[in-house]
Amino acid sequence: MTQAVPSITDPALLGDGGTLTGRKPLIEIRNVSAGYENKRAKTRLIALRDVTLEVYPGEFLAIVGPSGCGKTTLINMIAGFMKPLEGTITVRGEKVDGPSADRAMVFQDYAVLPWRTVYNNVKFALENRRPRPNKDELATRIAKVLAMVGLSGFEQSYPYELSGGMRQRVGIARALVSDPEILLMDEPFGAVDAMTREAMQAEFEKIIAETGQTVFFITHSIDEAVALADRVVVVSSRPGHIKEIVDIDLPRSRFAEGVKSNPRFGELREHIWGLLQAEALGAKIGGAGV
Amino acid sequence: MTTVQPAPAKPDEDVSSITEAITRSRWAPFRSLIITVLNLTVFFTIWQLIALAEVINPLFFPKATAMFSAIYTGFADGIIGPELWHSVQNFTIGLIIASVIGIPLGLLMGGVRIVDLILSPYVWAMAALPRVALIPLLILILGFGNSMQLTIIVLSAVFPMMVNCMEGVKTVDPSLIRAGRVFGANGPQMYFKVILPFTLPFVISGINQGIARGLVGMLIGELLGGGGEGLGFLLDRAGDQFDAPMLYGTLLILAVLSVGLVQGMRWVERRAAPWRDQSRV
Repeated sequence: MTQAVPSITDPALLGDGGTLTGRKPLIEIRNVSAGYENKRAKTRLIALRDVTLEVYPGEFLAIVGPSGCGKTTLINMIAGFMKPLEGTITVRGEKVDGPSADRAMVFQDYAVLPWRTVYNNVKFALENRRPRPNKDELATRIAKVLAMVGLSGFEQSYPYELSGGMRQRVGIARALVSDPEILLMDEPFGAVDAMTREAMQAEFEKIIAETGQTVFFITHSIDEAVALADRVVVVSSRPGHIKEIVDIDLPRSRFAEGVKSNPRFGELREHIWGLLQAEALGAKIGGAGV
Repeated sequence: MTTVQPAPAKPDEDVSSITEAITRSRWAPFRSLIITVLNLTVFFTIWQLIALAEVINPLFFPKATAMFSAIYTGFADGIIGPELWHSVQNFTIGLIIASVIGIPLGLLMGGVRIVDLILSPYVWAMAALPRVALIPLLILILGFGNSMQLTIIVLSAVFPMMVNCMEGVKTVDPSLIRAGRVFGANGPQMYFKVILPFTLPFVISGINQGIARGLVGMLIGELLGGGGEGLGFLLDRAGDQFDAPMLYGTLLILAVLSVGLVQGMRWVERRAAPWRDQSRV
C-alpha cells in the first residue's frame, strides 16, 4: 500500500477544480520540453515545448489535443519511460526517475500478456515488486478489482477469448489492483467501439469515485474529456504546448445524471472544440503527420 | 443517448448463454482421415496402373506393390531397420545439440546488442551458405565417420534456430515491455515473464525450420559422406544397384518421417501458443 498522502480521497476535493488552488500538487511539471532525436538528419523533433502543469491529489485531469501534439510523450515522461530535454517532472516533490509503484498505467492497446489468464494478468501487477502480498491477500484483492470492472467469472479466460472492451477491463483491473496513487491512462478507450466506449466511461467514473485515484487521462475525444475530467488541458501541436486549461464545472456523478444532455456540457464542448479547430486548420496547412 | 446501460455482463448466465452445443454428423471427426485414406488409395492405384502399363521404363518406375514389398522384406531381413535407426539416432542427437547451442545463443543475440553485433555477420553468412558446400571441408577435417554426419546435421539445424530466436526477441511488442516496466518487472522478471513467453512461438518455428534443414543435412551427410550407414546410404546403394523398389521405398519412409515431424511440431506450436491464431485482430 502506497497511501502516504491521506488526502487523496477527501471528497471535498473531488469534482471541483476551483478549490484545488493553494493545495500542494501531486505531480508538478515545470517548464518541460521534450523531443526525439533523428540521428541521421542530426536534427531533433521537438514534441513538447515549455509545458508547465500541476496535477492535484484526487483530481481527474484530461489532456486533449490533436494527434502529434506530444500527449503521449508527456504521459511517457510521467510514467518514467523517457526523460525531458529540459525542465523537471516531480511526483510528491521527488523527481521522476523511472517507473514506480505509485504510478500505474492503462495502455491504448491494452498491453495485456496474451499467454496469461485474466486472473494472472491482474496478478502481474502485484507479483514483481517487494513486498509481495501473501497468497490470500493476493486472491482477495484480485477478486475485488475484477468484480469492480465487471470481470468476475472470467478469471480463467485468456485475453484472446475476450472482446477489446473486456481486454481493456483487464488492463484497468491490473492498474487498480496495486492501489496506486496515480493512474496514467493513454487513450484507454480509443480502440474500443463507440457503444462500449460510452458504457466504459460511465463505469470508469463510478470506479474512480470509489477508489479515489488521481487520474492523468489522455484522449483525443473532446466529449470523453469533458464528460470525465475535473480539468481539461487543451494542448496545441508541433511543438505541443498548453493552449488553455478548462475547468469542468459539471456536477458528479455525471453519467448517472445524463451529462451529455446538460447544456453546460455542450458549452464546454463547443469552447474546447473552438480552441482545437483553429489548431486543426493550422495543422492541415502545416502538413505532414508524425 | 443520455442513459447508460450497465454494460458488464453477469458472467454466470453470460458465459453459458453464448456457448451452445453444435450438432455435427457422426462422421465429422473422421472426415479428413477418410479423405486422406481415399486420396492415397487412388494415388497408389493410379501409380500401379501406370507401372503395369509400362509407359515408363520399369527400371525407373516400379510398381507400387513392388515398392511396398521391398519395404516389407527390407524390414524383415534387417536391411532397413538398422539404417533407419542410425539416421533417427543421428538426427535426434544432432537436433538436440543444435537446440542447446542455437536457442540460448539466438535469445542472447536478440537481447544483448553487443553479442548481436559480434555474432551476426557469421550467423547470417552461415545461415545463407548452402550446407553442401561444407562437405569437402568437413570430410577433410573429420573424415568419413559418424562425427562428420553429426556435424553437418548440427550445422544445418543450428542457424535457422538462432535466427528465429533472435528475431523473436527483437519483435517483442514494445507496449508489453512498457507494461512490464510500469508493473515493476526487473531485468530477469522482464526476461522470464514477458520476453521469453512472447518468443516461445518463434523458438518453436525455429525448431521447425531446424528439423527441415537438419533432415537435408542428415541426407547429404549420408549421401556424400560415404559413411556407409543411414537412410542416405540406403538410397545411394539402391541407386547403384538399380533397385528401384528399394529406392522408392526409402523415399517413402523419408517422406513419412518428415511429414510426421512437421505435423508433430505444428501440433506443439498450436498447443504452446494458442493466442497466436486469434489474438491479432
